[in-house]
Amino acid sequence: MKFVIEGLTVYFPYEFIYREQYAYMVELKHALDARGHCLLEMPTGTGKTITLLSLITSYQLANPSLAKLIYCTRTVHEMEKVLDELRRLHLYQEKEIGSSRAKILALGLSSRKNLCIHPVVSGETSRESVDAGCRKLTASWVRAAAETNLDIETCSFYQGYEKQGSEQPLPPGVYTLHDLRVYGRQRGWCPYFLARQMIQFANVVVYNYQYLLDPKVSGIISKEMQKECIVVFDEAHNIDNVCIEALSVNLRQNNLDGASRNIHKLNQIISRFKETDANRLRQEYNRLVEGLAQQGNLHGSDNWLANPVLPEDILREAVPGNIRRAEHFVAFLQRAVQYLRERLDTDTVVKEGPVSFTTTMSTAAGLDQKALKFCYDRLHSLLLTLEVTEIDEFLHVQTVCNFLTLVGTYTRGFSIIIEPYDERMPHIPDPVLQLSCLDASLAIKPVFDRFQSVVITSGTLSPIDLYPRLLNFNPVIIHSFTMTLTRDCLCPMILARGSDQLPVSSKFDMRSDPGVVRNYGRLLLEMVATVPDGVVCFFVSYSYMDGIINSWNEMGILQEVMQHKLVFIETQDYVETTLALENFRQACDCGRGAVFFSVARGKVAEGIDFDRHYGRLVIMFGVPFQYTLSKILNARLEYLRDTFQIKEGDFLTFDAVRQAAQCVGRVIRSKADYGMMIFADKRYNLPNKRNKLPQWIQSQLREEHLNLSTDMAVHIAREFLRRMAQPSDPQVSKSTLLSQEDLEKMAAMPNF
Amino acid sequence: MEKRSGQGGPAFQEDEEMEEEDKAPDMEAWERAYADDRSWESLIEDESGLLKAGDDVQQQRQHRRRLIQASGPRIQRGIIRYLCLILDFSRAAGEIDFRPSRMAVVAKAVEDFVREYFDQNPLSQLGIIVMKNGIASVVTELSGSPEAHIRALKSNLESFGEASLQNGLELAHTYVQHIPSYGHREVVIVFSALSTCDPGNILETVKKCKAARMKCSVVGLTAEIYICKHISQETGGSYAVAMNEGHLKEILLEHVPPPAAMPDASSASLVRMGFPQRGSEGAVAICACHKELRIGGGYICPRCRARVCELPTECSLCGLALVSSAHLARSYHHLFPIPTFDELLVDASLRGKSSFAGSCFGCRIQLSGGGSLRLRCPRCKRDFCFDCDVYIHESLHNCPGCETLQEEAVT
Repeated sequence: MKFVIEGLTVYFPYEFIYREQYAYMVELKHALDARGHCLLEMPTGTGKTITLLSLITSYQLANPSLAKLIYCTRTVHEMEKVLDELRRLHLYQEKEIGSSRAKILALGLSSRKNLCIHPVVSGETSRESVDAGCRKLTASWVRAAAETNLDIETCSFYQGYEKQGSEQPLPPGVYTLHDLRVYGRQRGWCPYFLARQMIQFANVVVYNYQYLLDPKVSGIISKEMQKECIVVFDEAHNIDNVCIEALSVNLRQNNLDGASRNIHKLNQIISRFKETDANRLRQEYNRLVEGLAQQGNLHGSDNWLANPVLPEDILREAVPGNIRRAEHFVAFLQRAVQYLRERLDTDTVVKEGPVSFTTTMSTAAGLDQKALKFCYDRLHSLLLTLEVTEIDEFLHVQTVCNFLTLVGTYTRGFSIIIEPYDERMPHIPDPVLQLSCLDASLAIKPVFDRFQSVVITSGTLSPIDLYPRLLNFNPVIIHSFTMTLTRDCLCPMILARGSDQLPVSSKFDMRSDPGVVRNYGRLLLEMVATVPDGVVCFFVSYSYMDGIINSWNEMGILQEVMQHKLVFIETQDYVETTLALENFRQACDCGRGAVFFSVARGKVAEGIDFDRHYGRLVIMFGVPFQYTLSKILNARLEYLRDTFQIKEGDFLTFDAVRQAAQCVGRVIRSKADYGMMIFADKRYNLPNKRNKLPQWIQSQLREEHLNLSTDMAVHIAREFLRRMAQPSDPQVSKSTLLSQEDLEKMAAMPNF
Repeated sequence: MEKRSGQGGPAFQEDEEMEEEDKAPDMEAWERAYADDRSWESLIEDESGLLKAGDDVQQQRQHRRRLIQASGPRIQRGIIRYLCLILDFSRAAGEIDFRPSRMAVVAKAVEDFVREYFDQNPLSQLGIIVMKNGIASVVTELSGSPEAHIRALKSNLESFGEASLQNGLELAHTYVQHIPSYGHREVVIVFSALSTCDPGNILETVKKCKAARMKCSVVGLTAEIYICKHISQETGGSYAVAMNEGHLKEILLEHVPPPAAMPDASSASLVRMGFPQRGSEGAVAICACHKELRIGGGYICPRCRARVCELPTECSLCGLALVSSAHLARSYHHLFPIPTFDELLVDASLRGKSSFAGSCFGCRIQLSGGGSLRLRCPRCKRDFCFDCDVYIHESLHNCPGCETLQEEAVT
């Protein structure tokens, strides 16, 4: 359907639109008009993606000055889903306004691992090895050497792309990763480099968060994006964590050992070069005297190690003298590794700021701060000069340089924590040196500064006013939409007491209490006997899950549960979990019924949907607080309190509740679906937790569903399931949908 | 507890239902009965300040909507049905959320269903299978006598173990295989459990049932279960979940009217039937069905002169289908149903006109006062009240208006 929002014609590929989708479009349009950023929360299952795509592409059609839409997703799977929706939209637009006007080029970009079609290299398992395999075949000096020496292997797809692909753009259309691979095979062009090239011409680019947020990647991929872009971060409830991870580095013993080996190897290569090609090293030295900044265009296509520091913090000046010569730099690195090794060898936990760390570093090991800043670029230059292609072998020294550069550059917003062992397993020595970024706003700031409009959206962004403070930006629009439901297909409940009326909680002093464990067990048992098909349980951590399942096993509860449903458990092993999920689905399909035990913040909680009969009930056992004794968390809390005036408790609760909401949100993926959610902890009853739940859960959380005990919850569940099993009235479900006429009527009335 | 329309349905056991096992600490049991029901919310005050119980018209509309859905255009119906009733008497049937237990409630509803089934489908047969302890066992073979089924069922009321839908369907499948091709193969599963514990892949069995043209419907007691939905969708049956005891009966009785004939079974074939005479009182004969000496009563098969006790049945000697003419007549109305009446919306502007002043043609109640829908037969254009509409369509199967028209035409 086609309709007009405040003068903008919007093309929407479906016949009906939900009210909240329409409202979402209106708000989004206001933000785009104001050229500002916005923060929008809309529940899952209401078609966020198509709403965003449809409004923004229509906006692009109306305003050709707008450069492109950059759509960031978290996983490849989501990326493909977005592109599929976009294709449907594109077909509709072509039908409406003809293919000449509705010309768009949209493509997804991912790592080489997902795009490579080289028969040997694409068979590699890890991302790094595919990257390295590609580089071995496509680095400029390899190709230069191959021209004279026919024995040197190159990648025919890259050659094909070099010869013709780089000039002529792709025909307009929507390209998923799969399409790109198919197209690449047909033409004999490398899809990865093709996609990277085509980003400049594309109207819509879909890629991973990292490509914008991680300076190591964004420096290569996204530096040529114009200001007039609209950036969308979808499923962005964890965006602060992504930002922080992008600027944090962990160093362990094996990293340092590896770095030492790398340095040794570098030394060998340098001495070999000195004998054969000393001239090259001298050239490099001269370049460095002029400054790193000016030599960026030396090797056009070899831009593979970008600085981990944010663009505006990179120094545009010459490299300090003490690391200009290759052997001096390597010696410098050796000293640094040695120093870090000494620091790592400690019995106590050390917490330091970057300033004091660099000061002691320069006094103890003679490593001055200015040189530290240049480590990463210097390494980059050295590896290029030495024509190293096996970069996957040099990962460790890269990590060390990454660390050194960050430590040298930033004086605030970071902290360095050295822990001799994991708090939870004190008897196993596992020293780790962590440079942790405390300020999520650092990594995202360049994005806000560079682009005209940034849209941050998700199903769970509550409490929504905390995000602007965490990310330190001023959105022009903040809005949380609720879902219009045709029937009460959500049934959230807060269970505070077990069947014996004693409170249940995963609070630290209560969690190992056998009474609480038994009550949780009874709850599960009653529920598996009441709820059909799939049930999903979330626990606060792996260790808690292991403990409670063990106790249930000893109490015989697990055996009773198995009489009703099969039990599957998420483990830290990815393959095992995938297999468990597959069998879980099968058990639900064939009517046996199954229950899945999983962990909040785990893989399953973040990415797997339990829609329809796969998840009729989700139980959240306890409040998923972060591990509060963690030093990193404490440092971050302190920083948040000092810098943004966010209280520790507020942040912890906010984080725990958003994780819980994320977990329970897994069960409902569309309006036709229905599901129950049980928050099994007495602390959810407190208003400060309850009010932080997303609006769409709160509005369904009825007064009589608070502070329940197990038997009351069972009763409510029975009634709810019977009610939901009744056929829904198609007449009623129409009422939440707006047709084209409805919208025209609404447009006629100014005060809708 | 959802409020349901009470018209025409059996008495509701809501009070029993209310005595759920949950004990809300801050409310007495009798209070909860009202809190759940919220009957005061449906009270409506009319212009003169009188309270009326509920929105009658709305409920009537709801009732009619089901009727209209059920009727549709005149279709060919399968009059000769072979229905396999699969009852779930697994551990879950012992639950007491229906009082006294799910099993007892199911047994009672099934009893009503069996009687009603044979009343409306005299030419059809029915058999009962029970699932318990992981296996399925035959309670009664396909036969035509309601009393025998009910007796056998009542002696079989125990619940334990798991339910296995696959075993139940497999058994029903072997059961219906030697049914003549003109017979309609139906399976109605009354399912209390929430899961099925199968020895193999149930999806294969579903395919097999589909290939055998078995129409499988499921009546659930607890919640919507994916596999049940899948079975009913695949085989063209229906799936419904009971809200309470009354609703259970209602949805079970929906399986009483004969279903639409299957499209591929439309080859018209003649069925040989016998219309036996009633044996004279005092005549002594060996009964063919009980294999013992009986005095008086019974029916004599017109082909082999064997004595059978009840009609309709199959003669146990020569295999002839034995029916009485009354049975055929009773099946007839399914083939030529009375059209559904149209609802006339009472418009204020029309109220004064003569055509709207009248009363119900059936019971002479005033229709202009509101409180009842005004329904008009499309053939004879006579108006009826809601109660008469229900009576005409569900019991009488004749429209009084049309009948009088015919009489007038004759005279």
